Formats: sequence, C-alpha cells, structure tokens
Amino acid sequence: MPFSILKRWFVDPQFARKKRFLRSLDIFHGIRERDIGRLVLALHSRTYHAGEVVFVEGDIGRALFILESGRVDLTRRGPDGAPALIYTLQPGEFFGEMALLESLPRSATATAAENSHLHLLYKNKLDTLLQAEPRIGAAIMGHLARLLSARLRRQNG
Amino acid sequence: MAEALAPFLLGAAFAYVLDPAVSRWEARGLRRSHLIAAGYLAALALGAAAYGSLKPMLARQTERLQAQAPAYLQHIERLAAAQGQALTRRLPLPRQTAERALDSVVASALERLQELPARLLGLLPLLAGALLVPFIGFFFLLDGPRGVEALIQLTPARRVEQALHLLSEVDAALGNYLRGILIVAGAIAAASFVGLFLMGLDDALFVAVIAGLSSFVPYLGAVLGALIGGALAVYQFGTLRAGLEVVLLFAGIRLADEALLQPVIARHSVRLHPLAFLLALVVGGELFGFLGLVFAVPAACILKALLTVGWSWYSTATGLAPASATSAAVPYT
Repeated sequence: MPFSILKRWFVDPQFARKKRFLRSLDIFHGIRERDIGRLVLALHSRTYHAGEVVFVEGDIGRALFILESGRVDLTRRGPDGAPALIYTLQPGEFFGEMALLESLPRSATATAAENSHLHLLYKNKLDTLLQAEPRIGAAIMGHLARLLSARLRRQNG
Repeated sequence: MAEALAPFLLGAAFAYVLDPAVSRWEARGLRRSHLIAAGYLAALALGAAAYGSLKPMLARQTERLQAQAPAYLQHIERLAAAQGQALTRRLPLPRQTAERALDSVVASALERLQELPARLLGLLPLLAGALLVPFIGFFFLLDGPRGVEALIQLTPARRVEQALHLLSEVDAALGNYLRGILIVAGAIAAASFVGLFLMGLDDALFVAVIAGLSSFVPYLGAVLGALIGGALAVYQFGTLRAGLEVVLLFAGIRLADEALLQPVIARHSVRLHPLAFLLALVVGGELFGFLGLVFAVPAACILKALLTVGWSWYSTATGLAPASATSAAVPYT
C-alpha cells in the first residue's frame, strides 16, 4: 500500500500519457518500455493553430511530425500551380518521415486544418539516440524501410 | 553587469550539465520536480557529510595558511636571495652586472608573488556568488524543458525545423564542452590532491581546490597549481627541489589529461581550431576579465554552431551538398 502511494506520488501522469500514445504508433512498434521513455524526452511538441503552415513544398525537411490531436492537410501544387489536397492526416498518423533519412525538399505542403498538437522528432536528435540506443534506431529505421518498400511496390503496380 | 549576470549564466550551465542525469530517471516516468528535489536533498546530505569529515583538515589548513602567509613570503625572499648569490658566482658575467640582472628578475617575481594573495582574494566575491549557483540552477533545471517548448511554440511555424536544428547543434557542442571541462576540473583536483598528499605537502587540499576550480579556464588549473603548490613546497621543505617536484607533478597531470581524458571528452565535442580557441580566450579575457575566460570557449562553441547551421541550410538549399544516395539509378527489385 505505501509503495503504491509513493509510486502515484512519483510517477508523472503526463509522461505516462505520452508514452501510451507513442506505444500505440506503428513506427515505434517493438521498442522497449524504457526506450519509449527516452523517445518521449527526445520529442518536441508544438500546437499549430488552424490554418498555420507546418512546412511548405520545397522546404528542406529535417524532422518527422506525429499528429496527436487535430487534423493536418497535405497539399501538392498541380501543373497549373494550384494546390491540390492529397491527404488529410488523422490523430496517430505521422508525416515528413523521409527527412529522417535524407535532407531533401519536402514534396508537399502541410497545413493544420484545425488546432492540432504535433510531436516533432528532429533528425539530429534521432541520430544521437541511435548512437546511445541502437535498438531504438533499428526499430524506427526498419519500419521506415518497410514503409518505403511498400510505397515503391504500390507505385510500380 | 558581467558579475551580476555571472551567477545566472553559471546556474544555467550547472542545470545544463546536470540535465542528462535527471533525464535518465525521468525517462522511467518519474516526475521531474520530485527527482530534482530528491537529488538536491541527497547532494545536501552528502555535502554535509563530506564537510563534517573534512572540516578538521579544512580548519587546520586555513588557520595555518592565515598564520604563515607573511612567513611564506619572507622565506621565499630569503631563499631567492641565497640562491641568487650562489647563481651570481657561477654566471660568466662581471659580478656587478650579474647581481643587477638577478636583482631585477627576483624583485619583479617577488612583486608578482606579493600580488597573488590579493588576486586570489579578488576571486572571493565569485565564490560567494557560487553559493547562488545551485539555487538558480534549481529553477533552470526545473523549468528547462518547458522553456525550450515555450521557445518552440513562439517560433514561427515554418521556422520550427531551423530552430530545432540550431538548438541541437548548440546542444551538441556546448553540452560536450561543459561536461568535459567539469570532468577535467574534478580529475585535476583529485589527482593533484593525491599527488601532493603523497608528497607530504601540508596544504594539499588547498592547492587541489585552487587547481580544480581554476581548471574551468582551460590550462589555468595546472599552471596555478604548479605555482602555488611549488611555492608552498619550497617553503615547507626548504629546498628548490621540492618545488620542482610539485611543478613536475602538475606537468604530469596536464600530460595525463591530454593523453587520457581529452581523447574521450573531445570525441564528440566541437572541434575548435587552436587559433580560434586562443583568440576566444584572449578576446573573452580582454572584454570580461576572469568570467570572460570561463565563458570564452562556450561562446565560441555557440558561434561555431550558428555558422555550421547557417552553412548547412545554405548548402542544402542551393544544392551545394549532395543529398541523394549514389545507387539510386539501380532498378527496384
């Protein structure tokens, strides 16, 4: 009994909530409980207001974005230069993941469709984490490789 | 102004150095505030225990130093005069010329030696300010991550990635430097205490503390340790040989630091060109005195991180840096 009181007093409920959220994501599947905690600390959070642009097509990308709440629209310029909606992200989905592999221009524009809370995993932060905890890196990179392969297969028919 | 800001800068540095230790526990889901409070209480208990056990030695050394400081100087003057006379006889110069030359060298050295206690006392306000450092550091440690998040929230949405890039570069450069210099200061203090204690120097603890604290200015720790420790050894043992042994001890500590510690510390830290390093120290010292010397290299690290980020963004945006993998032309199989 005293242990449970002590635990409740010492355990951070906000941190536990973030951990639960990250554990529910595919990209972090297979990462150990303690390593998820390190990942929570590596993430930065920001609230984007409706209409606020997260990044613009052509910007150099260096971070992965995870949507915790709200909605984010991905648009791409058509041949006539007008933006066309290509996807609307829902909570629990992530985008901009290619920035973790290489620093190339973004292929779409991301705009908050409503007030949205995003977590950012910055490339250098992930690299530092990879050096300290290669297991985390192996899980994330493995997932990105499978994602890339699936997209490539779908594109090739 | 610089002195008023010093405790805040040092408090931020103190929190910054301790942050990884807090984060290690925080990653297990424990509350940051509780961890910091528990850590401070544990440090306070440890500090009190260490003070209790070292108090008799500290009191003995302080009393002896206070009582014997004038005698130290007189003794060194007498010794210098005696050694000077012996040296004049051996120099292949007319006697009067040799005496005049030696007198001027000895007088200048003694004059500087007499200034030393005043200069050391001049550092006392800094030490008093040092008591504020853990207090201010507590708040930085408590609110540090929230401060960074607030900064990110204030950054214009499209510039968040640039801001994070800058933060991560500064973090990498500064963090390694600060943690490295703390390790060096601790190692120099411990090694010099053990060495001087084994040599039988009465004021081993005093010299080790001075050497350790002054190690926050690159290279100063070993130099001050050799000078003060050497002078005290000459007085205590009455021979120049004892002073020379202390100087050799500090030269050995400095070499061991270069050969054993620096390769480990510098592996991930920012690499500053030796000239940039020297320039930073000279400019920092000239503009802000002793504090400038302490913060010169961290400031240079931040400046280098700014330039690195600026160049990285420019070279990627203009296509100067190749970004694609080389085997991209091989068909997908």
